[in-house]
Order: sequence, then C-alpha cells, then structure tokens
Amino acid sequence: MIRDITIGQYYDVPSVIHRLDPRVKLMGVLIYIVALFLIRNPVLYIVPLVVTIVLYAAAKVPASYFFKGLRGIILLLLFTFVFRMLYTPGDVIASFWIFNITSQGVVKAIQMTARIALMITGAALISYTSTPKALADGLEKAFSCFQRIGIPVHDMAIIVMIAFRFIPIMFEELNLLMDAQAARGAKFSEGNILQKCKGVITLLLPLFMMSVNRSSDLAMAMEARGYSGSHEVSRMYPLRYRTADYVSYVLLALYLAAFIFIRVFL
Amino acid sequence: MIKIDNIVHKYTVWDDENTKNEKVVLDGISLDIPSSTFMAILGPNGSGKSTLAKHLNVLLLPDEGTVWIDGINTADVDKLWDIRSQVGMVFQNPDNQIIGTSVEEDVAFGPENKNMESSKIRTLVESCLKRVGLWQKRKESPTRLSGGQKQRLGTADALAGVPKCIVMDEPTAMLDPEARKEVIRLIHDLNKNEGITIVLITHHTDEVADADQIVLMKEGHIIGKGTPMEIFSNKELLRAAKMDIPPRVELGDKLREAGIPVPESILTEEKMKSEILRLYNETKGKGEATC
Ligand SMILES: Nc1ncnc2c1ncn2[C@@H]1O[C@H](COP(=O)(O)OP(=O)(O)OP(=O)(O)O)[C@@H](O)[C@H]1O
Ligand SMILES: [Mg+2]
Repeated sequence: MIRDITIGQYYDVPSVIHRLDPRVKLMGVLIYIVALFLIRNPVLYIVPLVVTIVLYAAAKVPASYFFKGLRGIILLLLFTFVFRMLYTPGDVIASFWIFNITSQGVVKAIQMTARIALMITGAALISYTSTPKALADGLEKAFSCFQRIGIPVHDMAIIVMIAFRFIPIMFEELNLLMDAQAARGAKFSEGNILQKCKGVITLLLPLFMMSVNRSSDLAMAMEARGYSGSHEVSRMYPLRYRTADYVSYVLLALYLAAFIFIRVFL
Repeated sequence: MIKIDNIVHKYTVWDDENTKNEKVVLDGISLDIPSSTFMAILGPNGSGKSTLAKHLNVLLLPDEGTVWIDGINTADVDKLWDIRSQVGMVFQNPDNQIIGTSVEEDVAFGPENKNMESSKIRTLVESCLKRVGLWQKRKESPTRLSGGQKQRLGTADALAGVPKCIVMDEPTAMLDPEARKEVIRLIHDLNKNEGITIVLITHHTDEVADADQIVLMKEGHIIGKGTPMEIFSNKELLRAAKMDIPPRVELGDKLREAGIPVPESILTEEKMKSEILRLYNETKGKGEATC
C-alpha cells in the first residue's frame, strides 16, 4: 500500500501551470483554501470545482494519475461524510437503531466532504506541477524577510529539500526491512495490539539507525561540496517573475475579492 | 599535487567504563601524490583508508604532521574553500551523497554554494553531465537511476567543483560487476583525457591493474607502495595486506607453472589475451614447420 502513493509527486510535462513561479502557486493555494472557507451556500462549491478542473486540464495532469493519488484519502472523505451526517442535530428525516439522520446533517456532510476533497485536490496540484526544489526555493524567497529577524529560512528550505529526497528512500528501506522481517517469520497484520506494536518497533529501530548513519554521511557529502549554511548562495534557475505570473496574481486577487464580496453582501 | 607528511590521526572513543580513550588510526603516514597520477589505495577493513581520504578534503585535520594540497597546508583555515575546490570526493553509498531531487539540481548544489552566476552554473552542469554521460537524464529523479549511474552522478558532483583531484572512497563497493566497470572506465577516462589526479580506494584488486601507483595500507601504516606489477608479484606483501591475488595474475602464475612462458608483467585481460594468442600462433607456426 505504501508503494503506490502518488499524491504529491511531480508530474513532468510542459504546461502553463508548470511554468508559473512557485511563489504564485503557493499564494494561489493559500487563496484557494481561504476562499473555500468563505463559502456558506453549498451551491457555490461549483466555482472552485470548475476552477480545479480547468487548472488540472491546463496543467495536463491526467485524471488517472490524479485518481490514483486520491485513493489514499477516500477513507478520510467517507469517514467525514458519515460522521457529519449522523452527528448533526436537527430535523430528523430518517432513523435506525440509535442513529438519526437529519436534513441539516446531510447538508453539513456534503459541505464538509466537498470542502476537504476540493482542498486536497487543489493543494495537490501544486506538488504535481512544481519540483520540490522549486517549492523550497519559492518558500525561501517568500519568507526571506524573516531571515532578518533570525529565523533560518534558508536552512529550513534545505531541510524541506532533503526531506523530499529521502522520504522515498526511507519507504524503500522500510519495504526492504518488512520483507526481511517477513522472511524471518514476522507477521505485521496479525496478533493483538501488543504484538503489533512489537512488530512496528522491530521495524522502526533499524530504520532509525539507518537514518542516523545516513545523516552523518550526508552532512559530510554536503560539506565536501561547499555547503556551510552561512554564506551567500546562488541558484541555477533563479526565481524571476514573468508576465504570466503578474497576470496570475491579478486573477487570484479578483477570485478572493469575489468570494469576500459574496460572503459579506449576499 | 598532494603531499602527506608523517600524519597521525587519533579518534576519541568511549569505552565501556565511560572513559575517554584515543585510538590511533593513522600512524605516521607519508605519501606523495604527483599531479595527474592514478593512485589506488588498498587495505583491509579498518586500516584507515577512509580516514586518510577525509584528510585530503579537509573533512578531518591531522593531529600531527601536515597535509599539503597544491602547496597549501590543510590546517590553514582561511584557505579551506580553496582546498575543497581542488579536491572532489565521491563516497561509497551513492544514496547518501546525492542531495538534489533531480540529476541536474544535484550537480548544481556545489556551484550554488559557491554563489556562482546562474548562467555559469548551467554551462558547468551541462559539461559535467555530458562528461559522465548523464545529460539525457538531467531532469530525472536520482531515485530512478541505476547504481552505476548514481556513482557517475556522484562523479559529476565532484567534477562540478572543477577539481584537480578526485578522491573516491570505495565508489564501487555497492555495485554489480557491470556497473563497476562503467565507473572505473569513467575515472580512467577523466584521468587520461583531462589529467585529473585520481585517488581510488577499493577492495577490488582487479580494478587497480591500470593504476600508476598502488599503496597498501594496514593498521594505520603504509606497508607497501609501487606499480601494480611490483605489488602483485610480491605475494608476501599481498598476504600481509589480506589481499587476494587478482585472478589474472594468478592465471599468469598457473600458465608459467604449466610451462607456458607468459611474462610476469601482464596484468590486464586484453594483454593476456593477445600474449596467449601470440604464443599460440608461434607454436602453431613451429608445429607446421616440423610437419
Ligand atoms: N568517527 C570515528 N570515531 C571513532 N573511531 C572511528 C571513527 N571513524 C573510524 N573509526 C575507526 O577507525 C578505524 C579506521 O577506520 P576507517 O574507516 O578509516 O577504515 P577503512 O580502511 O576505511 O575501512 P573500510 O575498508 O571498512 O572502509 C576503524 O577501526 C574504525 O572503527
Ligand atoms: Mg572506508
């Protein structure tokens, strides 16, 4: 199961969205999510839905790739839906055993589920269309003002990068370990809670040791290549705004303004 | 290029009673590595090879003695970055030295740290990736490369520092035979065509037949030094260093025992083949003559 997580993996095709500056995309996600939370009338979810579909089409991310990624969160969505439906007080429209389904509950359930689904699909687009490096650079630039008050933004960007690089390797190691332990007779999906915990610990300990070794190796490799963490660095592809980026900012501002307007005046 | 003068290195270790102890890992090593040589270092586990390698890139400083890199003392703190750019490093585990999430980003990491201009970084990255034959894969994720390709990427990372010397610490230890050949061929090319000094640390005696110099280490000492021919014909020395006799040298010995006069100087497959062919044709010629 761990092996087929695709959500958040860069999908390499040339597209308008891919070419946008990562700072624009970060701001876009922020505005998109804020707008989702401004919605009160469920009919309005149509707007972000259409926007999302248009953006995915523009980014040339195929639906199959996207749905494969979505599989992981289906359970979460289902849980939200059922929970909201059963636990919202109001006018009862149906009831069985100890549960009451209320009309308010159904509306709430649709609303919450739609919000979460839209939020995750919208936010996932940024990771499909920007490389981890671009995202780290974008975050670094966007928050560079905090560097002056002593927050190590540059170091944090490097940490993000390294995490992106090593998470897949750690999954690989985890899989290897699981296979190795299974070959010695370990059964991870059987037994009581205690036995399961023991199983997890036999996995986590070696994984932890491997990571410690890796980090000292990595520190050395970085130092050998001139990383000191303190002096000025440059970029192979420095972030530079282009016309499309400015246009996008304007569109984003209009989008946010529209939702604020609806919320306040309608 | 590199001059190592009687260095001693001690690690601090904590033993069972929680007392501090010193462990001498390099004990009076002196070595000259002239420019553009291909030097191989062999030795059993724990003999101090990696520790020595780390002194060549100032990842460690000697407790006694000095290391000179191109005339600069490595203890000179102000020159640290000068020295680091003279000597590139490639390590054993390719996954632990690749930092970028794509091939080209990884190569760019070094130049970016030097605050190089963007356009210059791009030309440098292109040239490095072309030299190791990974230009086609520049946009790919390093996780998708094969072991041999990963070590070639590690070499490109080292090349991006525009070094005069590359130190490789068991770069082939985790590779299959095919990938090993691929990496060894690459570093020989860099040595021959670009005159880059190579220091290759390895356990595989068959990788060093073409080296200019071989150094044998054991327990923090250099116990032997010489050309591959000198080293491999000295069986005592090889045994002392717990080294296998390379298969081709052994084959030569066996052939000589069987009365086939192949010269002792033959260490490579190619030469062995042509020599045997020559001898074969010679005897065949004689045979025909007697008929
Ligand atoms: N950071 C350290 N702290 C303490 N002892 C160390 C440290 N690094 C290495 N050693 C010890 O120093 C000795 C030499 O280690 P080194 O890694 O240089 O050997 P090596 O020749 O590279 O061996 P290998 O072939 O296994 O790579 C070993 O006994 C090792 O245990
Ligand atoms: Mg070693």
